Amino acid sequence: MSYFELAGCYPEGSSSASRMALTARSLGWGGIIILSRDPDGIFMPGAAFKVKGIEVAFGAEAHAQGARALKSRIGSLSSRYPFVAVQGSSEETVRMASEDPHVDLLFHPCDIRHPLGIAAARAAAQNQVAIGFDLSPLIHLRGQARSRWMEALRHNLDLVRKFHIRPAITAGAASHLELRSPRELMALAGVAGFEADEAREALCWPGRVLEKNRRNWAGPGVEIL
Amino acid sequence: MRSRLPVLRQRRRYMVFVLESEDDSGMVQARDLMGEIASSQLSLFGDSGAAANRLRLISFDGQIGLIRFSHQHLAETRAALAAVSSIRGIKAAIRTKGVSGTIKSAREKYLPRLVKLSFESDGRRIEQKDISGCIIRTHGVKVDLCPDDRYKSAGSGARFLGLTSLDLCGGHEDADGTADGL
Repeated sequence: MSYFELAGCYPEGSSSASRMALTARSLGWGGIIILSRDPDGIFMPGAAFKVKGIEVAFGAEAHAQGARALKSRIGSLSSRYPFVAVQGSSEETVRMASEDPHVDLLFHPCDIRHPLGIAAARAAAQNQVAIGFDLSPLIHLRGQARSRWMEALRHNLDLVRKFHIRPAITAGAASHLELRSPRELMALAGVAGFEADEAREALCWPGRVLEKNRRNWAGPGVEIL
Repeated sequence: MRSRLPVLRQRRRYMVFVLESEDDSGMVQARDLMGEIASSQLSLFGDSGAAANRLRLISFDGQIGLIRFSHQHLAETRAALAAVSSIRGIKAAIRTKGVSGTIKSAREKYLPRLVKLSFESDGRRIEQKDISGCIIRTHGVKVDLCPDDRYKSAGSGARFLGLTSLDLCGGHEDADGTADGL
């Protein structure tokens, strides 16, 4: 099973989708999922598919003002894109996203003042929503800010283990210079508190979800062949 | 520190890496690079972790470098190098190429593949509907562009936009020279 990375691209980031795919391929990734709040506005998405030797997919990051608007946005995006992620910016968003089975991945901000709650973790486990750990603060922060972030991450990781939720790991890259290789990301995850097997599984997980979501499901457990 | 008894000598590993940065000249000083790596290592693992690893920069020519570390600290070294995101305020990334037990084998295994690493400077411009600016450099199909609108690349704090020739004209991945789509 190959490793998959989740990344942003231009215009939200500073590298085009094809440059991200090219760099990810040279770093040893088997696939890359380009996440964007506005997937229709991505610069030259077709060029990314011309990069051979790496699987490229475009996913959507659902973003809205209120919980109700977010729910309808998730519903519309899940029918159009094979991968839907939500940035858990507030407790309301986290709760809503963890209760929606259309959400594939919920990024939790790892803030010690707003840790992942037990109710949200239980709901995420029931609805098969994975919890995403963006390791970019480990790269960009220093000192006390980073130690607080690591403390919050360990707390969230304990809940993820307790409720058997799938974790996902990403470097949160928005530029090709922010991409890291799978081995580097596993080493960083080890520093953050992940076991080696957990980190490896977390890097493979997006590929498996992508494969499942691309199949034609008529209902829960019913596939049209 | 040199041990008097060969049996007490610590085993070492050597890692070849390539530095990718936004630096226009492509020449980052070895002292600055080692300062960033040491700072990253100290910040991640503390004084005792840094002392146990004994990280040393053996050689660095501005792009390719060789670093020595203790054989039990491979993951820590990878993490310390991965945590370097800028060198003297210029966005950079250290790409690990491989690890070996001796300097000779590290050079033999990993350096021949990295022969063609020089960047071409460029003075051409791109004028498209979504994007316009000066090409800073090209390397194969990779194109670094300095956008006219500096806020275009403000998303991740980068100075340049990373593009490929595939974005600019829909050329083929293996295209080069005059067929690079520029």
